[in-house]
Amino acid sequence: MTIFYFVAFLSIFFALMTIFTKNPVHSVLYLVITFFTFTIHYILLNAQFLAVVNFIVYMGAIMVLFLFVLMLLNLNKDTEPMKSNLVKIMGTIAGMCLIATVLGALKVIETNNGFVTGNTDFGLVKNLGKILFDEFLLPFELSSILLLTAMVGAILLAKKDKKEA
Amino acid sequence: MAAIITLSLLGIVLLYIGLYKAKKALLPTTLIGLLVALGFEICDWGKEAVPLFHGMVIFDHFALSFSILCILLTALILLLSKAYFSAISTNIAEYYCLIVFSLTGALLVNAYHNFAILFIGIEIMSVALYILAGIRRKDLYSNEASLKYFIMGAFSTGFLLFGITLLYGATGTFDLSGLRQYVVDTPQGISPLFYAGILFMLVGLCFKVGAAPFHFWVPDVYDGSPILITTYMSTVVKVASFAAFLRLFDYVFAALNDFWTPILLAVIVITLFVGNISALMQTSFKRMLAYSSVAHAGYMLFAILSLGANSASGIFVYAVAYSLSSVVGFGTLILVKKYNGSDQFIAFNGLGKSNPLLAVTLTLAMLSLAGIPLTAGFIGKFMMFTTAMNDYHITLLLLAAVNAIIGVFYYLRVIVHMYFKSAEEGTTPFVMPLNFKMVFVIAAILTLAVGIYPQCLIGLF
Repeated sequence: MTIFYFVAFLSIFFALMTIFTKNPVHSVLYLVITFFTFTIHYILLNAQFLAVVNFIVYMGAIMVLFLFVLMLLNLNKDTEPMKSNLVKIMGTIAGMCLIATVLGALKVIETNNGFVTGNTDFGLVKNLGKILFDEFLLPFELSSILLLTAMVGAILLAKKDKKEA
Repeated sequence: MAAIITLSLLGIVLLYIGLYKAKKALLPTTLIGLLVALGFEICDWGKEAVPLFHGMVIFDHFALSFSILCILLTALILLLSKAYFSAISTNIAEYYCLIVFSLTGALLVNAYHNFAILFIGIEIMSVALYILAGIRRKDLYSNEASLKYFIMGAFSTGFLLFGITLLYGATGTFDLSGLRQYVVDTPQGISPLFYAGILFMLVGLCFKVGAAPFHFWVPDVYDGSPILITTYMSTVVKVASFAAFLRLFDYVFAALNDFWTPILLAVIVITLFVGNISALMQTSFKRMLAYSSVAHAGYMLFAILSLGANSASGIFVYAVAYSLSSVVGFGTLILVKKYNGSDQFIAFNGLGKSNPLLAVTLTLAMLSLAGIPLTAGFIGKFMMFTTAMNDYHITLLLLAAVNAIIGVFYYLRVIVHMYFKSAEEGTTPFVMPLNFKMVFVIAAILTLAVGIYPQCLIGLF
């Protein structure tokens, strides 16, 4: 339990650092660390698959993409759009309302609920595979269409048009 | 299911046709594929509806009728696409392929019985459209539309996913029957997580159907995208999203309506006023149609507000009326934009003289959108108002009536421009291509048929 509280503290700390640092590159690096603490959470929860996927996809692929984009964009104070105070205040109020709703929903939850304590072996790759290829076979197959659509689209948008060349 | 498989394969076949540069074969192949899918859907009509594949999808009359509508609309829109895409770039096959995939997603959304399918369906439907919105790569507005649609789409999907997660946390299942069972079994002790889940689902779905205050992406995206893609977005995607909305709230959340009715009521009133008053301000026909589509989302939400035996048929009739008129409206805009180079109301001046058929069909479409009797739009509005009447939402009805009158005003403005203002000097009259004539006449006949004999659609459910 102590490890959990320590890692949870780190998650929140680095998440806050992500928001509050001025330098966008530092911000992204803090985000990487935040994701890393999530990976530790998943391992603590015995969810191997999520841990691995989170580590490879989020920390690896997506964050590298973020960094590249940031470096290419050349962000500095001049190009940053100024937000009026009104927008900031509205954003804060709306965000706090959202937090209140979600926390209100989470607070009353009974911790001895079967889905919360749950089956500790549930996140193992073996069990996940069994469910994925049995009960959830149809969505699994259909996601191939989603991936194909995304691939066709990415190439379509990125390919040079012969007319323009 | 056979229809979904057919469409998935059709998409891949289209890619191969593109590879072998058989451009002439693209449109006929797509239409034949759509017809085959349509045939499969109609064959499923008589069968008993049970959840298939471990309760993932269900092909009941509700799903089938909305799927058939989506396929027919796609066919109509694609008929207009002849010579439209080739003006944009040489990669036509990919455009057809993406539209077909998007339609596959729409069919999944119509028939979902498990949140996994709902999510994948919505994603397939939207991802294809994020790209299609941006196919005019040199056009800044098109780029803006694509990016905005993508960011807002991803954002709203986040809400939807979080809602699904919370509902799962409360019930331990993604299955609609399981969720319904949970609501029935525990009328008193429903977890607060479940309520938060309902809120998030409501927000996510309102984003997808473009209801205010979650509508702000609609005008820019509809305005910036190529007109044909806007037509597809504002008809097929909207119809499918409403089918998903209605299925979820009717089947699962109906017993908890005390909780979400006030929220939905507020959403509807804001949607009606924002949509109609903004539409009134526009000088561009395309933007006017975008805002009017927001307003129509408000009317369609009536059926979800007052759930009952007539909700499904009401929303279906309304969707038919709205979609047919939208196809004609946007189709006319394609022609006017092509020949007069502008999408302002002024570009419609004198159409009544130079193109009588075009003007008549557009007039009929506008009257149907405004809800004038003898058109399908009237029947749709009438059914919506009746369902709201049954629940005694009198204030809402009064506000809606005021909005309907505002609507009549801006729809009639188009007609005034076509018939009572003469064309400017130097605009040459143009000939309507045959495919446009076909689509417009079909849409006009269907609008009148539903308007005069609505029983043919209402009897389906």
